[in-house]
Amino acid sequence: MADQSFDVVVIGGGPGGYVCAIKAAQLGLKTACVEKDATLGGTCVNVGCIPSKALLQSSHLFEEAGHGLAQHGIKVAAPGLDLAAMLARKDKVVQQSTAGIDFLFKKNKVTRIQGTGRIVKAGEVEVTAADGAKSKVTAKHIVIATGSEVTPLPNVAIDEKKIVSSTGALALPQVPKSMVVVGAGVIGLELGSVWRRLGAEVTVIEFLDRILPGMDGEVAKQMQRTLTRQGMKFRLSAKVTGAKSGASGVALSVEPVNGGAAEEVKADIVLVAIGRRPYTNGLGLKEAGIAIDNRGRVVTDGHFATSVSGIWAIGDVIEGPMLAHKSEHEGVACAELIAGQKPVVNHDVIPGVVYTWPEVAAVGRTEEELKAAGIAYKAGKFPFSANGRARANADAEGFVKVLADARTDRLLGAHVVGPMAGELIHEFAMGMVFGASSEDIGRICHAHPTLAEAVKEASLMVTGRQVNL
Amino acid sequence: MPEIRTKVLIIGGGPGGYVTAIRLGQLGIATMLVERAWLGGTCLNVGCIPSKALIHAAEAFEQAVHQAGTDRYGIRVERPSIDFGRTMEWKDGIVGRLKGGVAALLKKHGVKTLAGHATMLDGKTARVESDTGPQVIKAEHVVLATGSVPAPLTALPFGGRVISSSEALSLSDVPQRLVVVGAGYIGLELGTAFAKLGSKVTVVEAEDRILPAYDTELTRPVARRLGALGVEMLAATRARGLSPDGEALVVEFAGGTERRLPADKILVAIGRRPCTEGLGLDQLDLGMDGAFIRIDERCATSMRNVWAIGDLTGEPMLAHRAMAQGEMVAEIIAGQRRAFDKVAIPAICFTDPEVVTVGLSPEKARKAGHEIRVASFPFQANGRALTLGAEEGFVRVTARADNHLILGIDAVGQGIAELSAAFGLALEMGARLEDIAGTIHAHPTLGEAFHEASLRTLGEALHI
Ligand SMILES: Cc1cc2nc3c(=O)[nH]c(=O)nc-3n(C[C@H](O)[C@H](O)[C@H](O)COP(=O)(O)OP(=O)(O)OC[C@H]3O[C@@H](n4cnc5c(N)ncnc54)[C@H](O)[C@@H]3O)c2cc1C
Ligand SMILES: Cc1cc2nc3c(=O)[nH]c(=O)nc-3n(C[C@H](O)[C@H](O)[C@H](O)COP(=O)(O)OP(=O)(O)OC[C@H]3O[C@@H](n4cnc5c(N)ncnc54)[C@H](O)[C@@H]3O)c2cc1C
Repeated sequence: MADQSFDVVVIGGGPGGYVCAIKAAQLGLKTACVEKDATLGGTCVNVGCIPSKALLQSSHLFEEAGHGLAQHGIKVAAPGLDLAAMLARKDKVVQQSTAGIDFLFKKNKVTRIQGTGRIVKAGEVEVTAADGAKSKVTAKHIVIATGSEVTPLPNVAIDEKKIVSSTGALALPQVPKSMVVVGAGVIGLELGSVWRRLGAEVTVIEFLDRILPGMDGEVAKQMQRTLTRQGMKFRLSAKVTGAKSGASGVALSVEPVNGGAAEEVKADIVLVAIGRRPYTNGLGLKEAGIAIDNRGRVVTDGHFATSVSGIWAIGDVIEGPMLAHKSEHEGVACAELIAGQKPVVNHDVIPGVVYTWPEVAAVGRTEEELKAAGIAYKAGKFPFSANGRARANADAEGFVKVLADARTDRLLGAHVVGPMAGELIHEFAMGMVFGASSEDIGRICHAHPTLAEAVKEASLMVTGRQVNL
Repeated sequence: MPEIRTKVLIIGGGPGGYVTAIRLGQLGIATMLVERAWLGGTCLNVGCIPSKALIHAAEAFEQAVHQAGTDRYGIRVERPSIDFGRTMEWKDGIVGRLKGGVAALLKKHGVKTLAGHATMLDGKTARVESDTGPQVIKAEHVVLATGSVPAPLTALPFGGRVISSSEALSLSDVPQRLVVVGAGYIGLELGTAFAKLGSKVTVVEAEDRILPAYDTELTRPVARRLGALGVEMLAATRARGLSPDGEALVVEFAGGTERRLPADKILVAIGRRPCTEGLGLDQLDLGMDGAFIRIDERCATSMRNVWAIGDLTGEPMLAHRAMAQGEMVAEIIAGQRRAFDKVAIPAICFTDPEVVTVGLSPEKARKAGHEIRVASFPFQANGRALTLGAEEGFVRVTARADNHLILGIDAVGQGIAELSAAFGLALEMGARLEDIAGTIHAHPTLGEAFHEASLRTLGEALHI
């Protein structure tokens, strides 16, 4: 093997790891990235953001072709589905994306090492290749970017056939007649939407008494109404305590959280989507003396340094929202720190998007969080039904909600339910980074007719100056 | 003759006029708005809104047609058909609801409205021909917001098969052969929509390229798409007039040769001119700027307490500029100190793909004497674009070379109109490239292309 000593070795080739490796190489550091899977890109590109969004788009088009066109005066016979072709398109998008990262590694001269990495001690990583061959890699700096894995549900063993995780749900060979999604978080609602649009009867079972835990309560309520209208069923305050998998499908036992008799719920396919947990199996953390917290996350000092000098950690494996863009920014900042720069990642302003239809996006604090923190705030809320572009697009569900400090008018949070929410949120994110007030956003000339005018109007509403409501 | 007194008189109920009125109402100022045709003006009735509705329906239709042909997403559909009458009803429904909304808003804010044509008698008095007879209105402040009308081509007057954008938005059938004169945004938006709906479209443009107001790098993807849609583009070509039998447009190429373009409809979209007919401008002594009314940065005309806003005051003739001016004038009348600092008035072409420009283009920045750095990031390398099947286009960032202050942001791509707001904010906040680089953009979104374009302009691109 070639020279196996580096300035930086990154373990994990997901959005955190591959971006960190590229940045480190760009900063002149001799860099390697160890990835156990055959392709780079990690969860996000292979079995996460990218394939799920590809299927969400395809299934949305399918639904539009079936139901959305008549109002425009477009007549079309009910569409047929070629699921294999739909999945093949998704695979192609994934493959284009992983190939893109291969190209970036070559271009930036990042050495890619295939195999599973184990930290022997500071400065040394042992890599076990797929064939079992072991090799030693030394580096001044080690970055842990091993990401996360699906959180298992006790007594509901995932076989990726009938009882699937998000990974299996991205590749079902046929549309199930019925599907139960356990967990009403982002991933459950997105993938539940995909299969509902393609024809499955979808029931979501959630332990809490609300969907989208962690997101603004009003947003969650609106989305539950919307998704219900689309045909998704919800059973809240219910816990799944066991599963029996047989030839005819899966029988789940479901108990009300507040007590009561258990009940059996049957489905062809069960999707377990109760969350993700940090992945550090076989990484040798304990032996190397790297501290983890009670949730299995690698502990850092807030600047990605672990408890062992020369070993860093970023992304899903450390504290914070498990989001690809958070991992990426941490990857960049970590590489810059290693190179001696002084970057900061603004962890207060990390947008999050749910790619249901309509989309949901949020940045900053929710109303519940502000109340709990005792911060006096003012809210402005503008519905897309009063927005010209939303109407012209026949897509006028949802609203923009702005939360600003009651005293200073500084933006504290923003929540959007609606078409292209994931794009609209960036104006707020950028505004918050700049410490903007709601008035700043309200005074900016927003193009007409755009959905973004609802962002302006909601901002004006904080001080009661909205024009179009 | 009955005489009405009010603090503020607004002439014209388009986006400029009605927004001024609502804001004045909010500020508690007695306001009267006179409109001769329709509340909402050009924008709501024969402009932005109906055009975007038509564009959306055409897009949905074309997508269904395309799916019937290819099966790219694994969706099999039969070839769709269109009931254009139903499409138009749907569009009219939207316009109707929004117009009702404007009327309700004016009422809610205590604005009096009067239907009729207004003619200025002097700087503070207007005569209105209303349904109930003529009325005279006296005001302390007058806001002129009479907007614009389609500019005619002398050699090709409107009438018969020669139509303006207004008629194009309320046709009863999809014309088989449509010739569009003028490849500006209005001509191309409508031409594209009709091409998608099944018209055989030919676009005639006197300049040597489409969207002459934009640079070719930005418009190239639009030109390509027009080609793919089967639109014939005749650049450097002049419309000469109707053929003697009245069934074709005769055009002349640069070399002097002529060609007959048989057409069912000929859409003349060569621009818009201020609407000042019968406004009584001859009774006032207003400084002019060509055919437009001259204003300063407060929208004050040369006469005290006579204000002018919107299309009537020249380029850029955009609804959101009219609205921004209107909000400001209302606040000035209410005694606030305001001025219009036009750092960022986004301009969008709702073509396919869409084009967005905010701030200075590289060329304009250079002309303004800036030393710049500029770079773009292609949607081909953007995850969201891949998942949407929208890889065409890019985001381009222009910044000062010395301190990295962002001067302009442009983009071309499918569905990117909504990126304009974040672009505008960046310019308004005086962002530098580093500021955008440090802002976490959600993944996967089209907005990440702005982040990456900023990184690339800094020389620090990650994903290309
Ligand atoms: C279905 C789904 C949809 C999602 N959608 C979105 C979305 O729309 N937007 C968003 O922001 N986020 C989304 N996420 C979350 C996103 O995928 C993660 O936040 C992101 O991938 C985390 O990046 P990472 O680099 O920290 O870890 P990962 O992407 O998990 O990458 C870790 C990599 O490390 C490798 N690895 C682990 N251990 C070792 C070892 N010992 N040796 C070598 N290699 C190792 C793994 O094989 C993996 O490739 C989604 C997730 C799922 C499951
Ligand atoms: C097809 C088309 C598409 C467009 N698309 C867009 C777009 O996507 N985005 C965008 O920003 N802009 C767009 N525009 C331009 C936009 O419509 C105008 O910039 C905007 O309407 C200007 O607003 P205004 O208030 O100045 O004038 P107008 O909207 O023209 O309103 C003026 C009003 O004054 C009334 N009036 C005139 N004279 C008198 C009188 N003497 N007495 C009483 N009433 C009078 C008229 O009836 C009219 O209702 C488009 C225009 C067209 C034609």
